[in-house]
Amino acid sequence: MIRLIADSTWVRKHRPRSLAEFVDQKQAVDRFLTWIKRWKPGNKPLLFYGPSGVGKTALVEAYAEEAGLDLVEMNASDFRSASRIDEVLGRSVMQASLLGKPRLFLIDEVDGLAGREDAGGVDAIMKLMKASKHPIVLVANNPYDAKLRAIRYGSELVAFRKLAVLDIMKTLEQACNKEGIQADKELLRLVAARSEGDLRSALNDLETLGRGQTILREKDLNSLGFRERETSVFDALRTLFKASSVMSARMALDGVDKTPDELFQWIESNIAEEYEDPAEVAKAFEALSFADLFRQRILSTQNWKLLAYSIDMMTGGVALAKKEAYRKFTKYRYPDLLMILGRTRFQRAASQAAFRKLGTLLHCSTSAVRWEFLPYLRVMAENPRFRKELAEALEVDEEGLTALLGLREGRGSRPQGRASILNGVI
Amino acid sequence: MAIGARVEVNVKDSLEIWAEKYRPKRLDDIIDQRHVAERVSAFVKERNVPHMMYAGPPGSGKTTMALCVAEELFGETRRQNTLETNASDERGIDTVRRKIKDFARIRTIGDVPFKLIILDEADALTSEAQQALRRTMESFTRTARFILCVNYSSRVIEPIQSRCAVFRFKPLVKEDTMAFIDRIANGEGLKLDPEAAEAVIHLAEGDLRKVANLLQAAAAKGKGVTEATIYDVAAQARPDDVRVMLESALEGNFREAREKLLDMLYTQGLAADDILREIHRQIYSLDVSEQQKVRLLEKLGEFEFRVSQGGSEHIQLEAFLAQCLLLAKPQR
Repeated sequence: MIRLIADSTWVRKHRPRSLAEFVDQKQAVDRFLTWIKRWKPGNKPLLFYGPSGVGKTALVEAYAEEAGLDLVEMNASDFRSASRIDEVLGRSVMQASLLGKPRLFLIDEVDGLAGREDAGGVDAIMKLMKASKHPIVLVANNPYDAKLRAIRYGSELVAFRKLAVLDIMKTLEQACNKEGIQADKELLRLVAARSEGDLRSALNDLETLGRGQTILREKDLNSLGFRERETSVFDALRTLFKASSVMSARMALDGVDKTPDELFQWIESNIAEEYEDPAEVAKAFEALSFADLFRQRILSTQNWKLLAYSIDMMTGGVALAKKEAYRKFTKYRYPDLLMILGRTRFQRAASQAAFRKLGTLLHCSTSAVRWEFLPYLRVMAENPRFRKELAEALEVDEEGLTALLGLREGRGSRPQGRASILNGVI
Repeated sequence: MAIGARVEVNVKDSLEIWAEKYRPKRLDDIIDQRHVAERVSAFVKERNVPHMMYAGPPGSGKTTMALCVAEELFGETRRQNTLETNASDERGIDTVRRKIKDFARIRTIGDVPFKLIILDEADALTSEAQQALRRTMESFTRTARFILCVNYSSRVIEPIQSRCAVFRFKPLVKEDTMAFIDRIANGEGLKLDPEAAEAVIHLAEGDLRKVANLLQAAAAKGKGVTEATIYDVAAQARPDDVRVMLESALEGNFREAREKLLDMLYTQGLAADDILREIHRQIYSLDVSEQQKVRLLEKLGEFEFRVSQGGSEHIQLEAFLAQCLLLAKPQR
């Protein structure tokens, strides 16, 4: 197996070598262990899914290393046809292991297969899954890709979650210790936070900063030009929110390398971070509401002269909503809208499709399904038999149904007030 | 329950939703709206129906009436000869141009003189789409008939109204609802005390879909259908996301309210129109003074107007939540 990443990168160097070193993902680890200990030919493979850099591949590798397994890895997105898959994996899946060591297969980036050009790729993997004499773990970012449906049904899904900032920090700290680097806690926290739960990218960032260093301070983020654009947005926001004149609020955004639309989102996401008095928040949003209207007017009339007013409202309007500048350090956050949209797109598309199906069945609109049926379906689904029928009719599995009904983990629990996805605070 | 009865249904239909299971299949089975059913029935017997418009409140049987007409006209070939479209999902002109025209153009199957196009929630069609529809109705009168179901006939342009026989559906009276409860109770072998039935009638407010859902959800709990289980289900099923959002804002917790809003818009994918309507409905019963309700309603109207002017739903709704903060009782 050729690996593109040389062993010398920190990601590779500081990878977990046993499950004890593995960070978080307790549920996934438990499910993996139960599965592999009971595995016999004919059992379903596991399908690991979740965001990047949270340990899907690393878990399998760590376990293989610890348990002394013969790990056969393959990156599905490199092999775009059925014959290539067969060629690479086909025989070894059927045969007993040569070394006499138990063998474990890891097929990475399965969703990379789902292109049109992957002639028969999904079928080939399905065939392997059924015929294999060895356990197989499949890895995907988004298992709800329509092309992966067959694979999804043929395997057990195991979810991986974004890692907590604290967990990432801990790993970064350990890496620093091993590299002989003395690092500020605050710097590690910032690196961890901006990775948005992706340990791999955090380690990569740390390596960029820390190669050849013995001391790392918070200011090194700036001196290295590390994420320079975002840092200057933070500075701009600080100036804007503290400004006491329309002119200085406007000028705050000068030289920031972002479009007005992007800046709009940055401001919108941070009003409530800066202002504490409700009257100020209300006033600031009133200004933003007008800025928004001007944006739409520009789009519909193509009168770009109006842009000046839109910017006035979103800078001066927001800045002057306060009585006086807060003397505090505000941790501004990344605009959450883009993050949410990216993260929830698949879920939303899947729900929409399922609600359409229900709409056809029940002769009503998807909106009626959501508002008039869904609340009752949640209650009915407490009944296991109904739950099963509903899942079958909608062609989703247990997890798909849970997501669809808007239930959180655990059977029949009600949706919680807090949406954990919005905690991307920096 | 008869066990043998389910042999013929295919997999998809194995999902039993009572609202669907107890939907009348023939015009004679329709409990309420007899004044409409009888006249429609007369048309169907002559096998010549005009374009029709059914106007009335939700859950009063408009869609059911339309489906019964299709069933009685076409019987086994109903699926091939009927196009069902919900305008609230496809409100653009494309639907009329492509889907409806394509369907109307193709010849009928079997010995039926025309096809049937059921346009549910037709008052949600944009005005361009309605203009296009008007022409389509005219040019395909020989091959297709339309049934438009609407909540408000005034939202449909005059020329379309004048091409239709308009039927008004009345809100259901208590006796109608009771008859429907009996039908379900008999069909499912449910034992239902009078208090439980009263509770259903009270909560459903004349909406038969809600009656069926309440009963099925209560029965699914498997503990017998009593007044308590009915209220329990109703409390559980109350769409409380909007309420939680408003209450957070009124407690002065803007961040939490905002998270909830973003969750509804982008994770659950709810339509802003629906959220606005639900906020409107909730305001009446919020724990604030009547004066304050008036202020909230005024603000909500203003922000809804801004949305209609092209403002982004997300920003305008947020601005509304920020206004709610002003009514927050001082904490601590």
